[in-house]
Amino acid sequence: MKVSKKRAAALLAAVCLAGMLSACGGQAEEPSSRQIFAMDTAMALTVYGTESSAAVQAAEEELMRLEALLSRTSEDSPVTALNRAGGRQTVVGEELTALLDAAGTYSRKTGGAFDPTIAPVVLAWGFTTGHNRVPDPEEVASLLETVGMEHVHLDGGTAWMDPETQMDLGGIGKGYASDRMAEIFRRYEIPRATAALGGNVLAWGTRPDGTPWRVGVQDPRSPEDSSALACLLHLENAFAVTSGGYQRHFESEGQSYHHIIDPATGYPAQSGLTSVTVVADCRRDDAAGLPGNGTMCDALSTALFVMGEEKALDFWRTSGLEVELVLVTEDGRVVVTKGLAELFEEIEESGYRYEIVS
Amino acid sequence: MRSYPELRPVRWDALAVLAVLALAAASALLLWRAPAETGAVTAVISADGEERERIDLTALSPTTITVESRGYTLHVLLSEEEVRVTESDCPTQDCVHTGAIHGSGQSIVCLPARVTVRLEGGAPADGPDLVIG
Repeated sequence: MKVSKKRAAALLAAVCLAGMLSACGGQAEEPSSRQIFAMDTAMALTVYGTESSAAVQAAEEELMRLEALLSRTSEDSPVTALNRAGGRQTVVGEELTALLDAAGTYSRKTGGAFDPTIAPVVLAWGFTTGHNRVPDPEEVASLLETVGMEHVHLDGGTAWMDPETQMDLGGIGKGYASDRMAEIFRRYEIPRATAALGGNVLAWGTRPDGTPWRVGVQDPRSPEDSSALACLLHLENAFAVTSGGYQRHFESEGQSYHHIIDPATGYPAQSGLTSVTVVADCRRDDAAGLPGNGTMCDALSTALFVMGEEKALDFWRTSGLEVELVLVTEDGRVVVTKGLAELFEEIEESGYRYEIVS
Repeated sequence: MRSYPELRPVRWDALAVLAVLALAAASALLLWRAPAETGAVTAVISADGEERERIDLTALSPTTITVESRGYTLHVLLSEEEVRVTESDCPTQDCVHTGAIHGSGQSIVCLPARVTVRLEGGAPADGPDLVIG
């Protein structure tokens, strides 16, 4: 009798334990979501785990801090100070110098196809103001003289640029922000999360069911229909960034002009591509505030769009950078590099032809 | 090794093991099924990051909701089939041009007004968790 009481107690304990476990598991999988407007875009965070609300709070504060640091329109950002210094050496801080240094590195690696000093030309086309126009060739040529990372100089926590050169970190700012999001998720031991920062995606961990996150690549032919996809990527612990001419464009005299300006010509890149997606691993332990793979994906997506299919694939084969690509071409193909072969899904009704390259 | 008679497995032990296994299976089932049972698609309208409205679209006859934010006014038309911004006095009109959304995970964004309309829930679709581009 005594023994069976003990057994009954053990059984009861097991029941309680099982109950606790399931209750605990249920709560852990309830995500915290937040929409944040920062860096001129709508951002969405969905974070799982017991520390999810603290992580979302920290993430939002970090995005606001980065906006204040990187904005070139706010009066008191260090980027504005640098742009208004008229050639004088300016204290911009270690963090911004590291980002400017990374910008310089990716500019060199891509032969200038990525260039954060292209802003005056983009402005002449009206893409930053919304008053679009086609600038005349002389104007473009004279503006191009101020473009190039050779006009930007760094020393310690200071920077200076040749007069007339302007810095715009819009091409890597959101990528850098996704690096910082990955760092916050790591610090709060977040098991799974997604962050969508305007064309920059961070797929952290897996979905609650243990399968990879399903990340759709927008079909550039139907930019206004978010259910139209060029392909679906199954991503786990990855950054993915898409650049496409369809994101911002205007028509003038029957001709369409998009916002990705080729720094070599000063005109919208005519490379035969409609979008480029760059994917890389997001687990870095040594990031510690430095620009990482998120920054890299952001810079490369623009640069490879400018380069076009052939040069982009050459770059992928020879650069030594661990990235994978999805290139959508004007002639209706989706070209996927072989590292994504097992991770991508064709969209039958899209009408695209799919190619895997190695 | 000596065997203590009271440590030999008996029928009761088998029963306890079975009970624990059954409980584990039941908890697992509950956990697995919970997300799939959310059923209906819900439209969540937020302004400046704050949730303003949460509307279940099940059997909803066409309804217009007015959202005011940062000096702009948006008219959002909701029905069982789809959600769209029909009218907005914002300068870019991107929210209106986005057209209709109908599946879970899709959203409409108005940057000047800082308004988002997002669809949540519904059957666990084969569709994407998020879209880039």
